[in-house]
Amino acid sequence: MRVVIVGGGIAAAYLANNLKKKNAALDVTILSDEKHLPYDRIHLCSLVDNTQDVDEISLSLDPTIRVELNQKINKIDKESKRLFSDNAMFSYDKLIIATGSVPISLFDITHIKNATVFRSADDCDFIKNGVEKREVVIVGSGPIGLELLETLNEMSSVDKITLLIRGNHLYSKDLSTDSIKTIEACYTKDAKVRISYEDEIVDTVVKDGEITLLKTKKLQIENPFLVFGVGIKPNIENFREILQCNKGILTNPFMQSDNEDIYAVGECAEVRDMHFVAGHVKECTLEADCVISHLLGEEVQEFKLEATIDMLKVGEFDLVEVNSPKFSAGYEKVLITSKADNRIDEYFINDDKLTRFIGINSNVDVGYIESLINNGDALDINYLYQNRLIGERGRLICSCEHVYHQDLVDIVTQTGIGSFAELATFSDAGRVCGRCKMMVQDVIRDSQHLIDPNMPKKTVQEIEREKEIAQVSKRIEKFNAIHPRNNLTTENLNSAMESLDIAKHEINSWISMVTANMQLHPNFEEVVEKGVKSLNKIPIIWLELADCSGNSEAFIKSTNPAIEDLIFEYISLDYHELLMSASGDQSETILEDIIANQKGEYILIVEGAVPLAMDGKFLRIGANGETGVELLKKCAKDAALVLAVGSCAFDGGVVAAAPNPTGAVGVAEALGRKDIINIPGCPTNPTNIVGTLLSYIMFEELPALDKLNRPLWAYAGRVHDNCERRGHYELGEFVKEWGDNGAKKGYCLFEMGCKGPYANVNCPTMKFNGGTSWPVQAGHGCMGCVEVGFFDKFANERKYIEE
Amino acid sequence: MTKKIVIDPITRIEGHLRAEVEVDENGVVQEAYVSGQLFRGIETILKGRDPRDAGLLAGRICGVCTNSHFRAAVSSVEDAYSIKIPKNAQIIRDLMALALFIQDHVVHFYHLHSFDFMDVTSALKADAKLTSKEAHKYHEKPFRNSHSHYEAVLEKLSGFVKAGKLGPFSNGYWGHVDYKLTPEQNLILISHYLEALKFQTNISKAVAIFGGKTPHPQSIVVGGVTSVADMLNPQRLNDYLFIIKEAKDFIDRAYLPDAKLLCMAYREEIKEGRGRANGNFLAVGGYAFEGEQKLFCSGVIYGHDFENIEAFDESKIREEVDRSWYKEDEICYTDLNEDGSLKTAKNDDKYSWIKAPRYDGATMETGPLARVLISYHKKNMLIKSFVDDFLKETDLEMLDLSSTVGRNAARAIETSYICEYIFKLLSRLIQNIKYYDTDTWSKFDFGALAKETKGRAFFEVPRGVLAHFVNIKDAKIENFSVIAPTTWNATPKNLNGLRGAYEEALIGVKIEDPSKPLEVLKVLHSFDPCLACAVHIIDTKGKELSRYKL
Repeated sequence: MRVVIVGGGIAAAYLANNLKKKNAALDVTILSDEKHLPYDRIHLCSLVDNTQDVDEISLSLDPTIRVELNQKINKIDKESKRLFSDNAMFSYDKLIIATGSVPISLFDITHIKNATVFRSADDCDFIKNGVEKREVVIVGSGPIGLELLETLNEMSSVDKITLLIRGNHLYSKDLSTDSIKTIEACYTKDAKVRISYEDEIVDTVVKDGEITLLKTKKLQIENPFLVFGVGIKPNIENFREILQCNKGILTNPFMQSDNEDIYAVGECAEVRDMHFVAGHVKECTLEADCVISHLLGEEVQEFKLEATIDMLKVGEFDLVEVNSPKFSAGYEKVLITSKADNRIDEYFINDDKLTRFIGINSNVDVGYIESLINNGDALDINYLYQNRLIGERGRLICSCEHVYHQDLVDIVTQTGIGSFAELATFSDAGRVCGRCKMMVQDVIRDSQHLIDPNMPKKTVQEIEREKEIAQVSKRIEKFNAIHPRNNLTTENLNSAMESLDIAKHEINSWISMVTANMQLHPNFEEVVEKGVKSLNKIPIIWLELADCSGNSEAFIKSTNPAIEDLIFEYISLDYHELLMSASGDQSETILEDIIANQKGEYILIVEGAVPLAMDGKFLRIGANGETGVELLKKCAKDAALVLAVGSCAFDGGVVAAAPNPTGAVGVAEALGRKDIINIPGCPTNPTNIVGTLLSYIMFEELPALDKLNRPLWAYAGRVHDNCERRGHYELGEFVKEWGDNGAKKGYCLFEMGCKGPYANVNCPTMKFNGGTSWPVQAGHGCMGCVEVGFFDKFANERKYIEE
Repeated sequence: MTKKIVIDPITRIEGHLRAEVEVDENGVVQEAYVSGQLFRGIETILKGRDPRDAGLLAGRICGVCTNSHFRAAVSSVEDAYSIKIPKNAQIIRDLMALALFIQDHVVHFYHLHSFDFMDVTSALKADAKLTSKEAHKYHEKPFRNSHSHYEAVLEKLSGFVKAGKLGPFSNGYWGHVDYKLTPEQNLILISHYLEALKFQTNISKAVAIFGGKTPHPQSIVVGGVTSVADMLNPQRLNDYLFIIKEAKDFIDRAYLPDAKLLCMAYREEIKEGRGRANGNFLAVGGYAFEGEQKLFCSGVIYGHDFENIEAFDESKIREEVDRSWYKEDEICYTDLNEDGSLKTAKNDDKYSWIKAPRYDGATMETGPLARVLISYHKKNMLIKSFVDDFLKETDLEMLDLSSTVGRNAARAIETSYICEYIFKLLSRLIQNIKYYDTDTWSKFDFGALAKETKGRAFFEVPRGVLAHFVNIKDAKIENFSVIAPTTWNATPKNLNGLRGAYEEALIGVKIEDPSKPLEVLKVLHSFDPCLACAVHIIDTKGKELSRYKL
């Protein structure tokens, strides 16, 4: 599959790298309209003051990703799936638009030599070369403006800077006056910077493409250098005509545009139902994760807003902000300030819940605040005070990967890494938005002395292996706890692992099949997989009472999974008279053992009716001549779950048909219980048995049942409604006698006594014997074998006369 | 001083079977009582119903022999009304029935019976290379015979064992002295056991193609079959053909060679006649295409006298219930002893739900062995070469087949030649369709049919002779009666003490360890017991069966 990503920012790089990580075989191309490889815009300031060049801030990319630079996309042909730039054409199977945003300028500055926006490496060059000998005017007080202000403030080539602010706040209008004063003080301690609040440009004088005079409400500035930091808008002009757009390209929760092969991610996308446009790196990567999952079809996740973390480290102060999507203007605020530490913690509270936090020089545990916000619990003010000092994991270093100071120290001391490059195999800290890269490097450097020189260095594989072993040991422990007879040991771990772990590729087909059959959303595949894996730990007793073994026979014809996998890999069929090697005493021992030692853990499957007449003596099992009903009661008493499979176990079936010579009843009636799950059918489809078992194990509760205790997922649909011959019914085309022309053409069998209209079960979609056929396909029609008393009511070839 | 050993439940069979054997101080069986432990009364339920409904209901007699009873019940009603079904319907019913033979025999051999010969734990010691070499002794191109395949099976097996996850393998009589196979031979069998699980799933599709599903197909109606659209669909015929072709491959390269392997490994007990019954055999024959040679011949053999085969005469069949839990047509249950054992002390004690059919007063063995012996000695050219080849390669005589292992040999031989016959039958069907005969149902007007009549149907089914009898009065079923293969073979004694085939075959068997009566299971399993089929209430008109003449 060819995936083409348009854009050259963090979102594009993140997408490309993670697509490759999940599936190395993908053909991934990045098309960027810039002349540089994707780089980290957060470090643009270091290009302005020349501390780094653009190569140093470029983002690491998987070497197998193809990158095409200077490709501004002019046209997309959705039909043929092609992209056109001025000089090239690109084909795609899936297209991801991650073009980010364009900065806003308050008037047209295209041909002006001393005015710019601040967004790209080219802008940095422009600023660097233009600011000398000029008074710099920065318009806007957001994070970008503040960072640039700090950078220019430190540059000796810049003499004077004016910050022009329309309102009367710095950073955010929600900040307290104390905070604004603290920030302001950092900038204005010498006279280089002046801040003009409640001010804006009113006029400019332009000569030879240069602004010679800038008039504001309050000031007149000659020979200025103007930088706009007033905001951004989605960069989507070339897509407006071909894709549905509002502010950004409109997408569904999987970030898919109105064309299913085109996704949009990051600042250029707008999630339709939320009216949401991303503004943070974290949000962009969350969106990218949704695209990756949807595109690869693995554990598909919808985009959900989460709390975001922003950090701003400017010279003498650092600022951290945690913001929740629930934040709104009607907040109350808690302020905790410390003059001594020059520290201010601002907590914003909506409806007794924490919705935002801004800290200046703060010591709080940011992870703790994030969890407070995400959990949405009512707030206890005391906790905020207690949290003013940092927790045991230390300060949050990387807000993208949630890596704390102590986590990094642990990685260093456990693996002995010595550089940022070596960290890559263990953690992506510092590599997502890159903002904290310097801090990560510092921590690595500072904790080198903690490394034990005698410690053997572990490879990534060894660490993975240890994790795996720890996991498997837990599974073995659990397995042995509910399955004492099967003594798995960790001694021969490999074979135990093999026994427990079902080959991935093998189960995947089954998982999908079961998920589809149970009409679950594909999202449930993960849950199904968990169910499948624990199925082989649960002991199953299969009891045959007054039966014909038809359901056992059907069960061993199970396909998907094939029976040999089913009974040897997936389930622990400990007692089944038809299949077990043990007989007589040896088999009874197994039964006694399960009943005695695994109370409440085993599943009992019962096939056949329960004869009650003559004190149940029409059926006796075992050397002591126990009656069927006695044995059933004994086995059912401590079973975790009782499944009655087949029509006889359901309501007595054929055995209880008039005149019911042996007084036979179904399992539920014999036990006088209402919690028996019925899976009727004559025989029942093995898929319905396996699916119901799974559903119980997956969700740890009974599947939804109808009033006859039949699982709705299998017994909700009427045969007639889902029948392949339904079209002929609607057209009035009926088989009139066996073997006639209608029969040859597959007409509706209603006139021949098909009971499809009275039967509720999934036969038409599930069919029998691996999808080979079902009674309607064989030209006979349904006989309603899943319904109560069908042998006295439906089992014939005449039209049913409703009472 | 004799000692009684009770085995219940006898597993790996259909239904609820109990065996009580009396052994002497050396562990040799002196007397045996075999008992069916479940009564359902399907015939009672059939009474008073519309004869056209008999098939769907009687089919439920057994879910293993599934389409046998369905077809026999419908055929008995057609016999009562003298309805002759179209050729195509006949062939389709035969195609379903014969595919069932293949499925049943393979499932029986590997999944129900092989644990009596194959020691799963011994297979773990096998050498994959030697195993591959060993398999070449029984066929020149053995089924899945690569070293790597056997290594994979070994790996899988040791996985189960190390994990303690034995499932159906747990608590077998592993290590018992009666297991005679080498580790390599065990590995061959276990490999085929696993393959056969796949096999039986696949072959069942052949039945479902024309039956809608199996077990309990649903396409047979009085007058013909309903699956005409499937019959006219070339892809369905092709699917059927290729399923059988694939099956034939497994049978020729795995099943038949494994039967030879057992015959060689158990030569000693075969020669000593272990598991031999009284030598009375019964077959009713059947499966023929328009006057051509029948697949099976009919006849009766007494005391292994193969040279004098009597013609089968249905008027000689009687049913008795002296020692069954009935009195005439009433249920007469006599309960068990205090210790839960059967009441067998007195000659007239009742001990089983199975009634006692007798042919001219004698107990009979029926099934694949009876069919092979009778067909061969009546010079049925369809089967002769299959039997000759097998006996030659295993260096056995005809009499040797009348034994525990021999029954399995007969079953395997029969499966192989049934496959050949299916190909012929299918080409007949295609020929018919080609000449524009697409009839699958013979029209009749139910209202105009006789209100009072009788019918019967005899069929060879996988486990032996199946007979259904129906009496119709006022256009309703007045009486229904069934004699199934296991009814013959698992019959209890009568007042005269004559043992049935199961009981007779057990006499003289030496049980090494009374707590692990593997020897008893092996004998009983060789008959492929099917208890749901076996138990039937006696027909009040039982004594009048003789009214029907062939």
